[in-house]
Amino acid sequence: MTRNALISVSLVAALGIILVLGYLAGRTFRDPARAISVAGMTVLEPASPLPEFRLLDQNNQVFDRARLQGKWSYVFFGYTHCPDICPTTLVVLRDVQKLAGGQEQGIQYIFVSVDPDRDNAATLKNYLPYFHPEFIGATGGRDELMRLTRAVGAYYEIGETRGGRYEVHHSAAIFLIDPEARLRALFAGPHDAARLAQGLQRLQGN
Amino acid sequence: MTRHKPFAVAVMLLMASMVAPADNVIVVRDAWVREAPPGASVLAAYFTLENPGSKADKLVAVLSPDFDKIEIHATEIRAGVARMIALDALPLPPHAVVTLAPGGHHLMLHQPRRALAAGMSIKLELRFESGAHLTVVAPVRRAESRAMHH
Repeated sequence: MTRNALISVSLVAALGIILVLGYLAGRTFRDPARAISVAGMTVLEPASPLPEFRLLDQNNQVFDRARLQGKWSYVFFGYTHCPDICPTTLVVLRDVQKLAGGQEQGIQYIFVSVDPDRDNAATLKNYLPYFHPEFIGATGGRDELMRLTRAVGAYYEIGETRGGRYEVHHSAAIFLIDPEARLRALFAGPHDAARLAQGLQRLQGN
Repeated sequence: MTRHKPFAVAVMLLMASMVAPADNVIVVRDAWVREAPPGASVLAAYFTLENPGSKADKLVAVLSPDFDKIEIHATEIRAGVARMIALDALPLPPHAVVTLAPGGHHLMLHQPRRALAAGMSIKLELRFESGAHLTVVAPVRRAESRAMHH
């Protein structure tokens, strides 16, 4: 009887140790940013909250921090006079939209113009539906743009004017903002639609 | 007249060899122009250049009746920042294949003189340092991303 009780206690203890070890192993395996990342993706752990900022969208509506809340947002910085990398990236985002979903799935795609001297609501409204009717365009004053670019670590610089025109050098990355308006991840170029969609799915735990 | 014919042929052959040495005929493949989104005043053209010869050459200029100005550009991503760099010329080393593709080298086509939509095509005249000229017809296409071609 006493021996049986001892065996029972030992078995329970052994089971307990296995459960604890299993839990710890599972936690280590699940938690690190590395486990949910895909190639070219950097996950921020913890996510970095964005400050207040105020831009205007293509319909002249305020586009601020609140517009990022409650949805996942893919954000890209560029300009409409950009002949190569911006249309190339917007085509990739159109494909991400096909793979990951759009507004109905709580995902939005935002093109922020860092060329406010040439781009405004009208320019963006004309330009973006070519890529996808749901895409949001936003721009604003340099100070407000700076509040957003600095918070996500995006860079832009107006190039020198040659023959009456200038280029805008800008970050090639696509930024992923979580539904609490925090920078959650960024993707370095060259961009791949399948990887961009998969990165979000991993963050969502799918 | 008949008497001069062999001489004229010789001159023509000589001129032809000066314009495009048989050894150094650049080949252009898969030329296309990305259809511009509405409001865009610049378009990009892409193609593959092959220098099958043993002499280096350079693409030095591109002309088209459909554009005011064409520049050879490189999109460079340095430290995560995309920059467009205007190039004076695009080097074509011996036996090299140089590809202009979205996100990399491209021709920047300024100020289209007519509205260009997918399905149309434009003429590009490529001029090389060797003196050779090549005219290619490039279709205007809507761009699809690489991922979707798999």
